[in-house]
Amino acid sequence: MTAVTSGTTTLDAARGTQNASPERGRAKRRREAGAGFAFLSPWLVGFVVLTAFPMVASLYLAFTDYDLFRPPSWVGLENFTKLFEDPRFWTSAKVTAIYVLVGTPIKLAAALLVAMVLNMKHRGQGAYRSIFYAPSLIGASVSIAIVWKAMFIDDGIVDRIQQLFGLPAGGWVGDPSKTMPMFVLLAVWTFGAPMVIFLAGLKQIPAELYEAASVDGAGPVRKFWRITIPMLSPVLFFNLLLETIGAFQVFGSAFIISGGTGGPADSTLFYTLYLYIKGFAQFDMGYASAMAWVLVVVVGVITAILFKTSNAWVHYSGDNR
Amino acid sequence: MRITRKAAGAAAAAVAVALTLTACGGGADPAEPGSAEKVSTDEDITISLAWWGEPARAEMYEKAVDLFEEEHPNITVQTQFQDWDAYWTARATEAAGGALPDVIQMDLSYLRQYGATGQLLDLSGQVGVNLDTEGVDDSLLGSGQIDGAQYGVPTSTNTLALFYNADVLKKIGVEPLAEGYTWDDLNAWMEEVSKAGAGEDPVIYSGADYTGTFWFFLQWLIQQGVDPFTEDGQLNFDEAQMTEWLDKGQELRDAGAFFPIKQAKQLEPLGGFHVNQSASEASWDNFLAGYVAESGEDIQMLPMPSGDNGPQQFWKPSMLLSASAQTEQPEASAALIDFLINEPEVGKIFGTSKGVPAVQAQIDAMNVEKGSVDEQVVQYEEQVADVVTESAPVPVEGFGEIEAEFKRLGEELQYGNVTVDEFVTQWFSFADGAVEQS
Repeated sequence: MTAVTSGTTTLDAARGTQNASPERGRAKRRREAGAGFAFLSPWLVGFVVLTAFPMVASLYLAFTDYDLFRPPSWVGLENFTKLFEDPRFWTSAKVTAIYVLVGTPIKLAAALLVAMVLNMKHRGQGAYRSIFYAPSLIGASVSIAIVWKAMFIDDGIVDRIQQLFGLPAGGWVGDPSKTMPMFVLLAVWTFGAPMVIFLAGLKQIPAELYEAASVDGAGPVRKFWRITIPMLSPVLFFNLLLETIGAFQVFGSAFIISGGTGGPADSTLFYTLYLYIKGFAQFDMGYASAMAWVLVVVVGVITAILFKTSNAWVHYSGDNR
Repeated sequence: MRITRKAAGAAAAAVAVALTLTACGGGADPAEPGSAEKVSTDEDITISLAWWGEPARAEMYEKAVDLFEEEHPNITVQTQFQDWDAYWTARATEAAGGALPDVIQMDLSYLRQYGATGQLLDLSGQVGVNLDTEGVDDSLLGSGQIDGAQYGVPTSTNTLALFYNADVLKKIGVEPLAEGYTWDDLNAWMEEVSKAGAGEDPVIYSGADYTGTFWFFLQWLIQQGVDPFTEDGQLNFDEAQMTEWLDKGQELRDAGAFFPIKQAKQLEPLGGFHVNQSASEASWDNFLAGYVAESGEDIQMLPMPSGDNGPQQFWKPSMLLSASAQTEQPEASAALIDFLINEPEVGKIFGTSKGVPAVQAQIDAMNVEKGSVDEQVVQYEEQVADVVTESAPVPVEGFGEIEAEFKRLGEELQYGNVTVDEFVTQWFSFADGAVEQS
């Protein structure tokens, strides 16, 4: 060990000062890289053990018949062909698609609206921002799903308000036609994260643009469509991506509100919930893995499409468009 | 002599391992009875125990485990529990990783799933050494066996019953059914109740849609002289029989006589009967305690409706205790199972909450109070003992799944999303994939 080190030192010395600097720089960089990886190692271990390995394993399982009790046996594409013939698979795809297509735009609109209101200068705006952000901190929690269910059952608060306005009485939880609006409302209510990002984006828009527009006689609506939206488009795009991907993966609230069944009458059978039922309640882990990979591909394709369309409507500052 | 017997046991075990590894679900050879060592009394041993149930049951188990640890000071028992659904999810995941707890509470619906796939210890070897099963009725003990291997020991029994709320019936002025009633009588009575209860606030319904419960369908099949499952673990009934069964409820469904599914879904995990808005409910007899606690009214029990040859009910082991095949402490595990099924004090702790104990000493120890829930359940089981003429069907592998699918489709039927014919087609196509072809 010592011999090797001293050997290198003499070698370095023999090469003269000219070369020593980059050589030593490289060694230093290597050492720094080593330290970097050492500091990264908890994450790296976590990533390999908890993410990469299970993903590779599930890719393999997707092509097998695996019931958790017996060793998996290779069945080729059978899981995928079964999947497309399974009516409940299509139900779950439909439920999730509706949730993504309806819930995400409403949630983003609500987030933008609140962000714009909070962007106005008034007293105590810091407090307001915290208050409006709070629901998204607790929205994904178990307790809020339970509270949500309690609010929407027979004689719950929502039912009573409906009765006050002479609307048809009855809770939403047991009515298959009303469970989806209930979930969309829960999603919209947790608008905090995109709202904060919108708020940051709004602050970046130069006030001169609005002043110039006012001078030219533009009203608030025109200013919104001509200045706010184009200037905010990168932020909007970012939020749209995150929220769409997030909406595809909704699980916790659905699991709790329906007791893990996707009921009533499969009206809340979200894709991830059906995947869970298949894997852990019906012992069909191969099928569940196949479903997981179909979801990965679908979300991947949708993300790619969003990126493609973004060329047309997202304006980055400094762009010539 | 002793050595050769042990060697034979080892050979049998080796063959068993080879069989499980090669043949799918072929089942192991039964272990030699009494081949096990006596549980150690000085070595420090830790075993784990898992069950499903509510916190109330957990308290009872903890008390029982404390007594066990007093008797075996060198053994420590680590406990855990979940509710029914979470319990089976957790066990399935552990089974996949070969890490089941040493002793697990087992249900008849899952016994074959775990037993036939080599997850459970054949307790035969422990019988007579660390595990005394003398007190358990032979046919009941048989329900814990698959191909001669004792994968579970029943702790208690239950049987189906029709519960009715006597206070509610008095209020709406309808007489309870008389013993010996048939399925048709039940339908007529339910219609009468729902008519009489329609004017009440809240509306009183006759009961839940009984056709959507898989076990009632099995009970009815047995009355038709049909064994629901074949010996080699296949379905033994056809689409026409299921259609006939589901059609029984059609008139009442159309008339809105059953407790509405919309309301039932919101009450979960309770039902209309718990909240005194339903006059009757068919279920397992050990559910009485739960009904009485929630309803607070006078709940009475009747045998199930009669077929052509009477009610022809069956005892079902309400739950079993099994040990993991991977356990490193088979002796201590068997000793714990032995304690839980035989110890009179344990019988006192649990009462009839798990069903009526399988071992008489535990029933005797309960010293049931007059008018208590325990007394009512014990009396009911004594009363129906004459009509319990059939043995419980041995569930096929995948029973838990086909039962859940039956329930799900039953709800779809009540929501009006599927017809009886669609129910039957969809269920059989699901069962095709779920029931293991051995």
